[in-house]
Amino acid sequence: MAEEFLNVKNVSKYYAGVQALDNVSMSINRGEIRCLVGENGSGKSTLIKIIAGVVKQDSGEIIINGKSYKQLRPIDSINEGIQVIYQDLSLFPNLSVAENISLNQLIEENKKLINWNEVKSIAWKELSNIKKELDLNERVENLSIANKQLVAICRALIQNAKLIIMDEPTTAITKREIDNLLEVIFDLKKRGISTLFVSHKLSEILQIAEKVTVLRDGKKVGDFNASELDYDTLSFYMSGRKIVHSTFDYQAENDKKTLLEVQNLTKKGQYQDISFKLHPGEIVGMIGSLGSGRTELALSLFGLNKPDSGKIYINGELVKINSPREAIDLGLSYLPEDRLKQGLFLKQSIQNNIVVTNLKNLLSKFQLINDKQKSKYAKMWVDELSVNVPSIEVAVQALSGGNQQRVVIAKWLATNPRIFILDSPTVGIDVASKSNIHNIIRQLARKGIGVIMISDEVPEIVRNCNRIIVMAGGNIVREMNTVDTTEDELFEILSSNSKNSERYVP
Amino acid sequence: MNGNHWDVQIRRIFGQNESYLLFIIIAYSVLVIFLNPSFLTLENLFDLGKSSASLGIMAIGVFIVLLSGGIDLSFTAIAISGQYIAANVLIATGVDNILFAFLISGLVGVCLGALNGLLISYYRIPTFIVTLGTLNIFHGFLLTVVGTKAINSAQLPKCFKIFGAKNVLTLVKPGGGSYGVSVFTAIFIAIALLSWFILKYTRLGRGIYAIGGDREAAERAGLNVARIQFFIYCYVGILAGIAGILHVSLIRYSNPTYLVGSELSVIAPVVLGGTRITGGTGTIIGTVLGVALITLINNSLILIGLSSFWQGFFTGVIVAISVSLSSYQSRKNVTI
Repeated sequence: MAEEFLNVKNVSKYYAGVQALDNVSMSINRGEIRCLVGENGSGKSTLIKIIAGVVKQDSGEIIINGKSYKQLRPIDSINEGIQVIYQDLSLFPNLSVAENISLNQLIEENKKLINWNEVKSIAWKELSNIKKELDLNERVENLSIANKQLVAICRALIQNAKLIIMDEPTTAITKREIDNLLEVIFDLKKRGISTLFVSHKLSEILQIAEKVTVLRDGKKVGDFNASELDYDTLSFYMSGRKIVHSTFDYQAENDKKTLLEVQNLTKKGQYQDISFKLHPGEIVGMIGSLGSGRTELALSLFGLNKPDSGKIYINGELVKINSPREAIDLGLSYLPEDRLKQGLFLKQSIQNNIVVTNLKNLLSKFQLINDKQKSKYAKMWVDELSVNVPSIEVAVQALSGGNQQRVVIAKWLATNPRIFILDSPTVGIDVASKSNIHNIIRQLARKGIGVIMISDEVPEIVRNCNRIIVMAGGNIVREMNTVDTTEDELFEILSSNSKNSERYVP
Repeated sequence: MNGNHWDVQIRRIFGQNESYLLFIIIAYSVLVIFLNPSFLTLENLFDLGKSSASLGIMAIGVFIVLLSGGIDLSFTAIAISGQYIAANVLIATGVDNILFAFLISGLVGVCLGALNGLLISYYRIPTFIVTLGTLNIFHGFLLTVVGTKAINSAQLPKCFKIFGAKNVLTLVKPGGGSYGVSVFTAIFIAIALLSWFILKYTRLGRGIYAIGGDREAAERAGLNVARIQFFIYCYVGILAGIAGILHVSLIRYSNPTYLVGSELSVIAPVVLGGTRITGGTGTIIGTVLGVALITLINNSLILIGLSSFWQGFFTGVIVAISVSLSSYQSRKNVTI
């Protein structure tokens, strides 16, 4: 039943002289689950906007349901059954589940008055069609992201969706929730509805999709069956570069000083009975899906989430960490998961971002900031980490993800940390920059800094850490040396644990 | 179903925040009655209903603006402009008719509101800046072009005074004399009901909630955001115009420097009523209860025997406490 639904034929698009899409073709069949991948700037979002009719292609045609469009308008795209669910979901946080699902239909029917029974019955019907139950009266802002996605899917289905395009749907949901989402998608497939995932989380893409379309620099690299791809080939197709992956070789020193020791740390509802050690020069990987307690634990170590009980030793001394200030003074640094919101002052210059953790050392004798000193200092770090920028005066928001992350790292290195906790350091960063950041992290470890790297990408952990701690449901379920395991084994451990443990309910 | 307890019932009808307010109002009233039994006379309650009407009508306008994620600071200037221009026109033309006064004041209100709406919806200027500007423009225009002289009770057309004394229900006191439910109260209730209906049962009303929740999502969903915003500011303008007439009919005196400057004491009951200043959340019933509580406090301080200078102080304390409580509540429910 390979009946074609969408056919994008030889589409090209220029933006101000830059070729965003170069002769790209792609076809999606009814009921197909497809992934569209590519690094930032590869043309993914341009392609989606063209399919949605929001952006007009310069040449080429779009054939939907056998009907050819040279100039597709948004309304044509919607009428043909194409629904885009953007990453921010475009839901109304203050309105109920029922209203969020049915509002579009009410707008479309151009009804002036609202019949609340109808609103609820529309929503209830659509939810039961995807075999899900949600409280129709609950405000959407109180739902988990996964449930918000279900609401967005229902809303799309109500408008007779034949193809649902989901932009980065798995970024903020747990493994269990991803499985749940997939169940829904497979159900839709049975009803002949196609799904196009847009993503750059490599390991998940391979799990989800049947077929993967890879874009690079506006050109299509090819369509591949997910079964013939693995992490390395996919990252090669995306970046065009063979990235040499060496594993991290950690030489345990003889006088095994302990840098950080955590004993029976517990915070009710978040994590229980956590004990582990970290030595100088180590990179310890902490892996576990969202909700496993990993980020909450990291926040506790950095003084942002007070634990209920347990002990933390640094260099053998019992410490209490009540604020980030105290953590920094103890030699701890924490690179947050969400660098845009928590790691950077986006509108400020690179220079200001780098110096912010260390203003104390830049004061003149009148206790004012010494500008010369400041720019000298910022330049030093920019060179040290090879942040690729025209000037240190550029606002951080203008930088690529990789460069932004280097700025965050520089900011923390400026505090001279002995323990560096990195939470998901390469999320949303393209493949080439990724390996560069990994190299930076290894260099830090070689200098004797103890690193804790939190991630949910198995290959990243296995290739960069000498020891791995697996967390699930707030517990450490496994601790092992990297040399004793393989990527496949770790995948196995993770997926068996994510199925057995319920997500904690805060 | 364990929904038969009275407290659960009340919460279902009024919502969480509103039931707190209702509880505070009742508790406070009991306290006042205890200190001064004359508070609990029908006459006093009817009087409260009358004197709070113009505040209440403006508060409903402010509520709708806040709900849409905006803010309006200019409504007091609109109210006084409508009132003062209407009074002057009535004097100049000699038409002594309250409906004519409402017509003129409402017309002034809708025109000035439309100007706000135009700047906000068409030129997309932030609402705070637009209305801060137009507050001064409207008031400045009124004082320089229309005049600064107050119209005293003797000069004021009779219709205002007659209207001000009109009741929709009159009761006779045992010892002679009469009191009753003022027409003001009826107008306030009618406007509250109309606004409630618009917000709850029309697409326009749900659009106002939607814009306040997420403006971009509202645009993507196909709502005409500009048109909805334009409506909102026109509606607030009309309400301000109506409130202006009630105000002059109550105090029988029209001074063009009145009202302006009291914006925050109208915004206070709205916020007290559970409306989020960031938009998208709040109810008409909450706003009405907020108005009731503020009026109650202002009225009772005198009955208790405290100077009216304490009014501002107590209003401030109650707003601060209730807003902190509700934001603490919502923070408790947020997960990391």
